[in-house]
Amino acid sequence: MVLTKFVEVGRVVKINYGPQEGRLATIVEILNDKRVLIDGPTTGVQRQVIPIRRLTLTKFNLKGATRGARTGVITKAIKKSDPFAQYAQTLAAKKVAKKVLRAKLNDFDRFRVMILRKRRSALLSTQLKTLKKSTGGKAQAQAKGGNKKK
Amino acid sequence: MPGKKRTVRIGNWYKSDDEKVHFVRKRKVPRPSKLRKIVPGQVLILLAGRFQGKRVVFLKQLKSGLLLVTGPFKLNGVPLKRVNSAYVIPTSTKVDVNGVNAGQVDDEYFKRTQAQRRKNEQGFWAKRGELTAEQQAAEKTRLEGKRKTQKSIDDALIAAVKKTPLMKQYLGARFSIGKTTRPHDLVF
Repeated sequence: MVLTKFVEVGRVVKINYGPQEGRLATIVEILNDKRVLIDGPTTGVQRQVIPIRRLTLTKFNLKGATRGARTGVITKAIKKSDPFAQYAQTLAAKKVAKKVLRAKLNDFDRFRVMILRKRRSALLSTQLKTLKKSTGGKAQAQAKGGNKKK
Repeated sequence: MPGKKRTVRIGNWYKSDDEKVHFVRKRKVPRPSKLRKIVPGQVLILLAGRFQGKRVVFLKQLKSGLLLVTGPFKLNGVPLKRVNSAYVIPTSTKVDVNGVNAGQVDDEYFKRTQAQRRKNEQGFWAKRGELTAEQQAAEKTRLEGKRKTQKSIDDALIAAVKKTPLMKQYLGARFSIGKTTRPHDLVF
């Protein structure tokens, strides 16, 4: 396996532990083999020294981040090319977002989700039936779902 | 010598019989319970009684402190009903109650009439329980009046409910907890 994610200046990281858990930041300076200086002006992370142990490296890099860059420079670089928005498109980020959304659902929302899931599975099963019929029962069911689920 | 009259206590009053004193409420006028941020039109979940789990629409708080709710009757079978706010979960869902006038409904509306009490009598008093023709007629008009009030309130409500998709089905369904639900995590 080739190593691709390095601890380097500009690497976008996710904080795993502590009060900022779940937030993203960029590595600005590497202090020693265990600590780095991170900053996330657009994600609400104060410029701080943090042990690498508390971070997960993402595959994104902030272009234009120089070693020891001040917060203003970082903000400008983010304005030019936003790696945080790119990260939000990844599957992992979407999963987290889904979980957060699900936790916020109120009683009516939960009811609506239940009804929509039932409708969706009804659609899927009718698709499956027609596919089975048309190929004599040997088809691999790849029915695409109908309604969007939260 | 005329001096101060001294009153001497004979002693405590000792009851001669085992008198059963009925519970006497010291507070004559009921103090309405402070309403936890519940707003007219809010959907509540009833937690106890025959309609437990049903989602109903809150209309107003009555003078006695109880909450006046209605199903609406056509949607889930819950009539105009008084409910204790302690046995209710307020949800954040609201129905528009601007066209609904629940002004004429108060605690008196729910009081049992003499004819009703008479109807329940059994045994020795059963004969007394039978209603006269005029009492029956009076009961009939009373119930007709109640049906009318229910209908007038519900019609306005159902019109508002129909505007939101799936709200009608929502009010018709009961709330329940499954194996995997964590009630303390639920947002209502």
